[in-house]
Amino acid sequence: MAAKIKKVLLKKPVKDITQKTRLWLMYPAKQITHPVIWELSQKFKVVTNVRQASVTDEIGVVCLELEGPRSEITPAIKWLEKKGVKVEPVEINVLES
Amino acid sequence: MEKQVGFMKALKCRECAREYPLAATHVCEFDFGPLEVVYDYARIGASLSREKIMARPPTMWRYRELLPIAHEPTVGFQVGYTPLVKANRLAKKLGLRELWIKNDTVNYPTLSFKDRVVSVALSRARELGFTTVACASTGNLANSVAANAASAGLKSYVFIPADLEQGKVINSLVYGANVIGIRGHYDEVNRLCAEIAGKFGWAFVNVNMRPYYAEGSKSMGFEIMEQLGWQIPQHTVVCMASGSLLTKIHKSYQEFSKLGLVNEASYKVHGAQATGCSPISTAQKAGLDFFKPVKPNTIAKSLAIGTPADGFYALKVMKETGASSDDVTDDEIREGIRLLAECEGIFAETAGGVTVGVAKKLVASGKIPVNDSVVLCITGHGLKTLDAVVGHVGRPREIRPSLREFEALLDAEAKSAITV
Repeated sequence: MAAKIKKVLLKKPVKDITQKTRLWLMYPAKQITHPVIWELSQKFKVVTNVRQASVTDEIGVVCLELEGPRSEITPAIKWLEKKGVKVEPVEINVLES
Repeated sequence: MEKQVGFMKALKCRECAREYPLAATHVCEFDFGPLEVVYDYARIGASLSREKIMARPPTMWRYRELLPIAHEPTVGFQVGYTPLVKANRLAKKLGLRELWIKNDTVNYPTLSFKDRVVSVALSRARELGFTTVACASTGNLANSVAANAASAGLKSYVFIPADLEQGKVINSLVYGANVIGIRGHYDEVNRLCAEIAGKFGWAFVNVNMRPYYAEGSKSMGFEIMEQLGWQIPQHTVVCMASGSLLTKIHKSYQEFSKLGLVNEASYKVHGAQATGCSPISTAQKAGLDFFKPVKPNTIAKSLAIGTPADGFYALKVMKETGASSDDVTDDEIREGIRLLAECEGIFAETAGGVTVGVAKKLVASGKIPVNDSVVLCITGHGLKTLDAVVGHVGRPREIRPSLREFEALLDAEAKSAITV
């Protein structure tokens, strides 16, 4: 029975809802000269909206809103992480001690 | 939104100062800056006095005009007013004239300072009509939400990393909380919890209730000042995870000064971190206004936040008050735990070892002058982090059930003491 329920759940199509995700991006020094956000919008169907930013020669910090289908936002975040960008939710550390 | 808001005026963005209604919301819609509670200090000043405070029960709620609730508290009536211990023996060890320990290892009900912030968040959540509360935590916060929600009859969800140690899980499960373990690395778990908090209409204590929640930490500072005879200590040493506690201790000192409850005086609020997770102290020592995220690797798990949400503001406070910070290794943390236990009979969790260890360093380097008054904020009980000290505090000596053997053991000890 449990296996049957699992099978049904797995087959259920996941709705690809458009969502807005609010993030803090922190760039290491080596990425500061790269147009990371432009590249992101070229690679994924997401709308990027910078709300605040601070870039020094040691670290880049950008507060960004990403809008798009979930199927684009999830890989977009993974791509940013692969680039060495630290991606945090707008609340930063939700998971506290 | 409810009409009556007590002594609160609004929520205000810490970046752009835009104001928002006193609802369950936590970031500015314009720049995503964090929101903070703003109070009507003129009305508070007219209502609050030392006498009025002293006439109230010894809990954190004796300062309720300066805490973000509209009515009487409904959760955590007995939280706070923990002892401020004059630590003469530890003072002597550190070479200080006047040292005090603010002992939140005995905070009620879950033996950590988190009961302060949680009881404020849950009391406010009830005022706003919530019946389900939640948090994402790796330890003390989870325990506190589970316990305080249980006593208030609120439904609670506690999100934890799936690989969390059994002991910490049981400390939440026992209260009947819905404990959900999430598989994945820290960043994934963290992002999912933010998403869950945004999607479900619950009072997520450290997300949409954060402006209220964080204010609860101020009660630790209020108590310190009252227990010192209505004065601000010259130096306060506070451990830093997100950095929020340090900023709120500073805010409490400012508020009491502004209201004339204490005389204005210069003070420093120093920050303490573990070397294995020291983004804020590293930045402070380098004279930077910003920190670089780190990957935590320390026994002080309750301070292991590599990207501290209030790091920027903690750096600002330390700069403004001319304070310092430092960090200590795992061995120095254990030494700090032992020093506090052996000198004062207070068993602190690893974060307490960090605070003691850093205080020792700041005294040795002259950043805390030996004749000044110093308060160390000790935030949680050692029983919560036993793993960190197992194998480092000696072993019991065993004998057979024989008086002769016991006397022989004492003789041997006396002889070795003479030879040493």
